Amino acid sequence: MSLMLLGILNAQAAGGGGGAYDLLETTTLGSSASSVTFSSLGAYSDYAHLQIRYVVRGAEASSSKDHFINLNGDTGSNYSYHTLRVNLPNVVSQGYGNQSNYFIGAVAADDVGTGIFSPGIVDVLDFASSSKNTTLKTLGGNVSSNNTVYLSSGGYFSTNAITSIAFSLNSGDYLTGTRFSLYGIKGA
Amino acid sequence: MATPTYDLLESVTLATSATSVTFSSIDQSYGDLVLVCNLGANNANGLSAGVRVNDSTTDYSFVLMRNSGSSTQGIGGTAGYFKFFNSAGNTSSKALHNMNFFDYSSTDKHKSVLARHNVDGTAVSAVAYRWANTNAITKLDVMTNSSSYEFAAGSTINLYGVAK
Repeated sequence: MSLMLLGILNAQAAGGGGGAYDLLETTTLGSSASSVTFSSLGAYSDYAHLQIRYVVRGAEASSSKDHFINLNGDTGSNYSYHTLRVNLPNVVSQGYGNQSNYFIGAVAADDVGTGIFSPGIVDVLDFASSSKNTTLKTLGGNVSSNNTVYLSSGGYFSTNAITSIAFSLNSGDYLTGTRFSLYGIKGA
Repeated sequence: MATPTYDLLESVTLATSATSVTFSSIDQSYGDLVLVCNLGANNANGLSAGVRVNDSTTDYSFVLMRNSGSSTQGIGGTAGYFKFFNSAGNTSSKALHNMNFFDYSSTDKHKSVLARHNVDGTAVSAVAYRWANTNAITKLDVMTNSSSYEFAAGSTINLYGVAK
């Protein structure tokens, strides 16, 4: 039996937002750029957490690009990360401390077919806190010539509130059409 | 200006078992879609299931990592739909599937999907998918791979829109 969504079942449609998860900003690149930064996060301190959803592709031709985050413009050795990812046919784990950024994972570069981009979702927890180090987590993937899917966690060892978050690649620009959307998640 | 989003677009709770649930004429005004399924099955051994886009049976690829017992696996491949991994539960357990469809209404990008699949007491997996087609997604079929198998009554399927 195949059931279409025709009201046969207990189906309902709804619209409108509840206000607990809000779109704050979106950057969609109209031309290539070496980084994308959300720089006014202090204005969103009434949210508990931030989420960034991205669809990206590097403009340089290489097998893939490494994707990074820096917080508050800090490039000191104040980051750590742990990653669980696919390196076909294996699942591999990595962890590093004292890094100059948070390595999210690998994304598509410009050596693959037109239209291929890599998605990801980053959560930044308690970003406005001035008493906690900042914790991040990511789910991302790259289904192209370099297949992978990854879960990662990042630590930023500063108790400063997060006022900016910058995304960049290990080299080259993001391709036109790359998109980053920033969301705020309300707390208690 | 903040825009409330993560809007419920469609919600289905199966009153009787079914082989598929279809969302058609999907609102094209959002950036991403999120599909959340809590599924049981009508057979004790579980069933294979997944999501088909726009009635297309080609151009789906995936890479996944999972633990379905004592070991981890990394697998890449192709399928005729976005295949759920570790089935869709069985008569005694439920499977939770969370799928994010990015830039689903674009007409210049292949459609990228990130998913987590979890089966009660059985398995957990993370999957990246790509549908190698630039058409906007207007229809999703959540389906079993055989007419002999059905999603159990009580299964829930919800579709959300996330603005960009």
